[in-house]
Amino acid sequence: MEEERTAPADEAAEPSEKRPGQGGISRRGLFIGVGSTVALLGLGALRYAGSVPLNRPPGGQDEEHLAAACVRCQRCYEACPRDVIVPAKIEDGVMGVRTPMLDFNTNNYCDFCAAENGGTPLCATVCPTGALTLPAGCTVGDPATGDPGDVVIGLAELDTHTCLAYRLTGCRACYDACAYDAIELRDADTANPLPYVVADRCNGCGACQAACLSLSSGAIKGSERAIVVRPASR
Amino acid sequence: MRTLKTQRIRTIIAAVVFVFLAAGLIAGLSVGTLSGFGWDTFSLLCPLGALASMIAAKTMIPRAVVSLVIMLALIFVFGRVFCSWVCPTMLIERVKGFFRSPKRRKELAEAKSTEVKAVSEQELAALKGGHACGACGACKPAPRGKVDSRHAVLGGALLSTAVFGFPVFCLVCPVGLSFATVLVLWQGFAHGDATWGMIIIPAMLVIELFFLRKWCSHFCPLSALMNLVGRFSRTFVPVIDDAKCLETAKGASCSRCAEVCEADINLRHLAFGERTLADCTRCRNCADACPTGAISFPVLSRGAAGSRTTAGVGAGAETPALVLDEEALAE
Repeated sequence: MEEERTAPADEAAEPSEKRPGQGGISRRGLFIGVGSTVALLGLGALRYAGSVPLNRPPGGQDEEHLAAACVRCQRCYEACPRDVIVPAKIEDGVMGVRTPMLDFNTNNYCDFCAAENGGTPLCATVCPTGALTLPAGCTVGDPATGDPGDVVIGLAELDTHTCLAYRLTGCRACYDACAYDAIELRDADTANPLPYVVADRCNGCGACQAACLSLSSGAIKGSERAIVVRPASR
Repeated sequence: MRTLKTQRIRTIIAAVVFVFLAAGLIAGLSVGTLSGFGWDTFSLLCPLGALASMIAAKTMIPRAVVSLVIMLALIFVFGRVFCSWVCPTMLIERVKGFFRSPKRRKELAEAKSTEVKAVSEQELAALKGGHACGACGACKPAPRGKVDSRHAVLGGALLSTAVFGFPVFCLVCPVGLSFATVLVLWQGFAHGDATWGMIIIPAMLVIELFFLRKWCSHFCPLSALMNLVGRFSRTFVPVIDDAKCLETAKGASCSRCAEVCEADINLRHLAFGERTLADCTRCRNCADACPTGAISFPVLSRGAAGSRTTAGVGAGAETPALVLDEEALAE
């Protein structure tokens, strides 16, 4: 520490040296400074400790930029009219703790604020650091027209082992929920149509996952719903 | 002993702000937290957050720049006012003080009193003895650096942010953690969403504020940042009216102002305080405690600032603290 050297060493003998605040940066100060810097560097290095990819709110698809700019102010969390934005958990990676993610298991999904703000996502509007920034000139999904838009949160993935429809129950909750025709039915004219995902029409809005009944009424043991949105990896 | 009435008002204000923002967080009021407070597209960001976010993203973020400029201007005018009037850390410190046993409280007060009285007596004696001393603030400027441990923490935080590309300190900031605690507990209990965060987030807060002694004046990088700007502040800085001050008017050792200062400033004997006026949080404890009401916070203090960082070096008659003049003592 530079400031340590500025303290004249010969003054150590003087009794007044015992007074607080004398002698430039103290030994304790030096210890705190070095210790904290090491601790903060260690904390920063935890970004390499691994993290789980997460579904990010619209405009947060550039993971690198989101992690860099987000100051965890929770404004997007508060702004979300459908309460699908939640702070990420520490289990999902230390670096991303408390950054915004979309949780479709809340039985709600992202409509890109079509109903609430005319199709301009409020989360990206309020974000003070631009961590959530929609790319210039992009379009977001419009449930009214069925245009999936350019902003892709993730891709729905259907697990045929846990899906109720594949147990021939006739369930088509996800198919009905999707506004973008990203789920189609095989054997549509039969009693047991089987849903599947059309990848290039899916924008990861989560409506299917929010509507999926497999965990709540399927009596099927599993840790997640039969259709879940997997994050768009960048 | 006069009561610290502003302290009560400050505590209430900070509590109201915290409860309002925390309730807003739960109710979805959309006013943000103290890390980023605002509505619609307007936000006042934490200055350190704004800075770290831009360093990490390696771009100028227009909103962050605007907010940073506003914040720095506010700090320039009001110094570290955030620390004593708004910061939730201050509330936790008050709760800590509340649960301290009366015996311990007395011990701490006495230790502080003894310490500042000794300084005051020493300097008074030195000045009485014809000023040929070496023990008063004027002759023997404190070899105190312009930076302290907090600045090293600030540097470390920004370094780590630059190296690893994300605002590292935000993870452990006690202001952020206070709100995160409310949120994680709310989600845990109201939504049955139990996570490790329910333990880790409050635990970090406890470690920082209970085990890292004197967080605010020794660790907090936000405090360091405010100190860097606050040292140029000339507004609302406490000034002693020497005609009323017991030490200058009567030559009696008092130093109540130094005893009650939350920022470890010795207003009467600036050169001997642990911190300088750069750290004044405008908490008004000194003005409230002064037995003769000699301390005021004028909108603009004339030239009093020479003492701010150099603790009186060459500031001479300009600095009220050093005008413990023979004239007054002779009376």
